[in-house]
Amino acid sequence: MLKATIDADIFRESVDAISALVTECRLHAEPDRIYTRAVDTANVAMISFQLKKEAFESYQGTKEELGLDITKLKNILGMMTKGGSIRLNLPEGGQKLELSFNSYHYSITLLDVNTIRKDPNPPTIELPGRIVISGDVLFSAIKAASVVSDKIALGIDPSRQQFYMMAEGDTDHIRLELGRNELEELTLVEVRSLFSLDYLKDMGKIMARAEKVEIHLGVNHPVKFSFDIAGGRGHIDYLLAPRIEAE
Amino acid sequence: MGVALREILVDFRSDAAWQELQGIAAVDAHNALYQFLSIIRQPDGTPLMDGQGRITSHLSGILFRTLNFIEKGIKPVYIFDGEPPEFKREEIEERREQRRQAEAGWQEAQERGDTEEAYKYARSASRVDSYIVSSSMELLRLMGIPWVQAPSEGEAQAAYMARRGDAKYAVSQDYDALLFGAPVLARNLTISGKRRFRGRVVTLNPERIVLADVLKGLDLTREELVEIGILVGTDFNQGVRGVGAKTALKIVKKGEFRERMRESDPDFDPETVKSFFLSPPVTDDYALAWPAPDTRGIVQFLCGDFGFSEERVNSALEKLQTKTGQKTLDQWF
Repeated sequence: MLKATIDADIFRESVDAISALVTECRLHAEPDRIYTRAVDTANVAMISFQLKKEAFESYQGTKEELGLDITKLKNILGMMTKGGSIRLNLPEGGQKLELSFNSYHYSITLLDVNTIRKDPNPPTIELPGRIVISGDVLFSAIKAASVVSDKIALGIDPSRQQFYMMAEGDTDHIRLELGRNELEELTLVEVRSLFSLDYLKDMGKIMARAEKVEIHLGVNHPVKFSFDIAGGRGHIDYLLAPRIEAE
Repeated sequence: MGVALREILVDFRSDAAWQELQGIAAVDAHNALYQFLSIIRQPDGTPLMDGQGRITSHLSGILFRTLNFIEKGIKPVYIFDGEPPEFKREEIEERREQRRQAEAGWQEAQERGDTEEAYKYARSASRVDSYIVSSSMELLRLMGIPWVQAPSEGEAQAAYMARRGDAKYAVSQDYDALLFGAPVLARNLTISGKRRFRGRVVTLNPERIVLADVLKGLDLTREELVEIGILVGTDFNQGVRGVGAKTALKIVKKGEFRERMRESDPDFDPETVKSFFLSPPVTDDYALAWPAPDTRGIVQFLCGDFGFSEERVNSALEKLQTKTGQKTLDQWF
């Protein structure tokens, strides 16, 4: 069972964050939160998402698994004006999620959860490099890099005490360096990995709204972006597999 | 269809190991698509189709063959046919008629429940139409594989690119690319190495034909090789009745090409076809780049639009990603 009221903007942000990677997911409702963990179809990126009970205006939930068509949900939310609240209602064992907004009342048929990929286990990865940066700065760098290339290297140069983002195209090159005073935190350990900007652009749009994004890096390892949503009452981790450096 | 020069080329065909074929390959797209459409079929000859009845055999073929190329270190560029030359009309009309007959034969065989016969007819009824071409181009674009629109014949453009050194060799089952001057022609670059040939399944290995070896071995100029082709019959003209490659070779060596052509059909001017082979319309307007594949786009296109199995496409794409540098998260779970 799920019966909740939530600020429409928070709900929209949540759906956008999930839709950056997947078109459908298993959403778990629990007494104190909703959460999902999903991997994109190409097995390259993963999202772990959770929204605490406190992020809702009102919340009552029992253990339930909802098969959500994220694309459909995003289209529905696109119809709505900004502001206001959304009421969600799923009766015990129900197959249709009722979603009400102003005078609109949607009844959304849920997907059979068995047709959706199982939640992956949380991977165990050691990522020694840690940077804390504003989401806005991060997204700007991603956008700038995508003008010249389709991939970007993220790394830490301990000797220069810098976090750098570097993209190399066939003819052009861009390097953005951020020192300790421009970052909230920076661990001085040598790390570097290369990533697809295709994925980062989609994630970046979501991260741009976050005041702080924690970046965890290794050497030719996945990157983890960790940030809060809904004023700290919700949290997202994005994990992205690297590209191989030498081509 | 192509030109029937096999008899005189047999000695110049050599098996090629996949690693020798690494590099840029200019693939005759029409030839590949025709193969996919005729081979990738269900036992009764029905091509693979999606829920809406659209043919998908060619998409399956492009995906898996191209992935195989990439895995083997071959960088393909697909060359699509442009406008056929005016004098190809007759041949095209004839092929249409053959297809019409094959379609009728297929239906009849299916109604009779004769699966083997139906398969045979269905293969001959294959047609590369604008839907097949445009959906193939879209899939290639998503895969980050370049394609070139030839102004005229795809094989001519492929041969030109190989001559310029932009491609290491041309890929086609037909020998026409040699007449168009491709320095190297590669054949049988299939995944399974198996092909149905006259009702039997035979195993084929990639093979390579070097034009210079052929010309030297037969002591011919390229012009004379083209003449042999014209005598035997090409996509652009009927050959001389009863003349095969060996006889044609003798005729050309004796310098009787013109005479024999005139005797056979006084109204046909072989020079038009000859000069078409020797200097066909080609273009320099192409850029060869293999950008990273849009894997999500591929899955959306094949699984979302055309109902392919996501599992099958994903496992195939993993190969592509490892080769193009994108790792998956699998190794960290």
